[in-house]
Amino acid sequence: MDTFRYPHLPSELSTVHIALFTNVTNSAALRARIVRASQLEGPDGDAEREAVNFAFIDARLICSRLHLQTAIYQAILAQAQGSLRTKTVHSEILWALNPTNNITEAIRRYGVADATTSLIVVRIASPDLNDVQQRMNAVVEGTLTPLDQLAQITDWASVKKYYKLNSEPALKELAKDPVRERLYVDEIVTSSVAMKSVMA
Amino acid sequence: MSSQSRSATMALLEHAETISQGAEAKIYRGRLHPSSSSEGPDAPPVLFKYRFHKQYRHPTLDVSLTKSRVAGEARALIKCLRSGVNVPGIRMVDAAEGVIGIEWIEGKSIRFLLGGGAEDEEVVVDDSDDTVEEEASPAEDPLQEYGLTKDAVMLMIGKEIAKMHKADIIHGDLTTSNMMLRHPSSLKGLQLVLIDFGLSYTSTLVEDKAVDLYVLERAFASTHPQSEPLFAAVLTAYEREMGKDWAAISRRLDDVRLRGRKRSMVG
Repeated sequence: MDTFRYPHLPSELSTVHIALFTNVTNSAALRARIVRASQLEGPDGDAEREAVNFAFIDARLICSRLHLQTAIYQAILAQAQGSLRTKTVHSEILWALNPTNNITEAIRRYGVADATTSLIVVRIASPDLNDVQQRMNAVVEGTLTPLDQLAQITDWASVKKYYKLNSEPALKELAKDPVRERLYVDEIVTSSVAMKSVMA
Repeated sequence: MSSQSRSATMALLEHAETISQGAEAKIYRGRLHPSSSSEGPDAPPVLFKYRFHKQYRHPTLDVSLTKSRVAGEARALIKCLRSGVNVPGIRMVDAAEGVIGIEWIEGKSIRFLLGGGAEDEEVVVDDSDDTVEEEASPAEDPLQEYGLTKDAVMLMIGKEIAKMHKADIIHGDLTTSNMMLRHPSSLKGLQLVLIDFGLSYTSTLVEDKAVDLYVLERAFASTHPQSEPLFAAVLTAYEREMGKDWAAISRRLDDVRLRGRKRSMVG
């Protein structure tokens, strides 16, 4: 798990924990649990919601660490300014990652699905929260993997499809050179995430 | 906007280094994402452009103008990126505060490389080595480091502008200061990069494209007096990239040269 501290952000949002899990075996159960947690009432509901208080992101759709960090950062900014478009800062990350404004679509595409096997788990918290890794391990059954391994997981065809990059002339030229093409797709996607708040 | 006395973005800029200041905005160099708790390389720097509050404008108007200009600049950049025009990537946008964070380009402005001098401040020399700088004697051609001739640079400029115009983006302020060469040692390799889309807009009109070129031609004449023939190479490459659309733009450019960039002489 990687931890990033942003000293200039409001304290309760200043610490970002990111973990990549591969070989995840309980995606369907996890998804059901998140849905159930959102419907439970009373103190049990609060406890359950706290247990799954993370952003669960399909790692195949993330191009680079910067791509992910950009989405997280814009979500935190929205929270700090009281301009969230979704209910929580964690769901806001999924919204930022999706090229359209449709929240359901964002969660369906970028969130955890029944067939997900590679999962990025993000927690935005105050610096005082210490047992994040244990909390993540408690909900995800999978292999904790260094974030650098992301490059091997990215599904570039899906990324290009969602961002409608297949028709762009710029990328047709690069089709023969996959290394440069990926660099270029990553740049377009990361920049799109960064400017999502002023998109149209 | 934000209820706190000091917003997160303003706190971020306090720790950034001021690079230059104009009438519209202030430019900083800073870091956005911290390096992780475990090791890993330092994240590259980010350039922040802060459109500060203008005291002479009504506050309501100021906020909405700033917001729409930040948004406009971001949209122009993303449109260029999607069209394959070399521009810096976007790293963050805080429209409420008037701040846009963009990719830091490691390299030099064309103005500097053509010997037009750095815009204000000192000539930024990479001080990687200590004291004795064997290179960088003033007589030496700074382009050597990039392995390019002036003519080759002109062709790159023409091609990049043509790609931008084919996407119907008008830069609005084409000068040699608003173009950079990305250093060959950077990840994306040697590139000519167009920067500062603060005055850009979308247009399909031949007039707007011709005026865009005219503005650059004038900028060349005033900043690099000895290099007038070089501009012909810019147009050659532009023509090659533009294809059939060139004829109309060329004709209009001749008109614009006769009358100046303002179409109407009324008022």
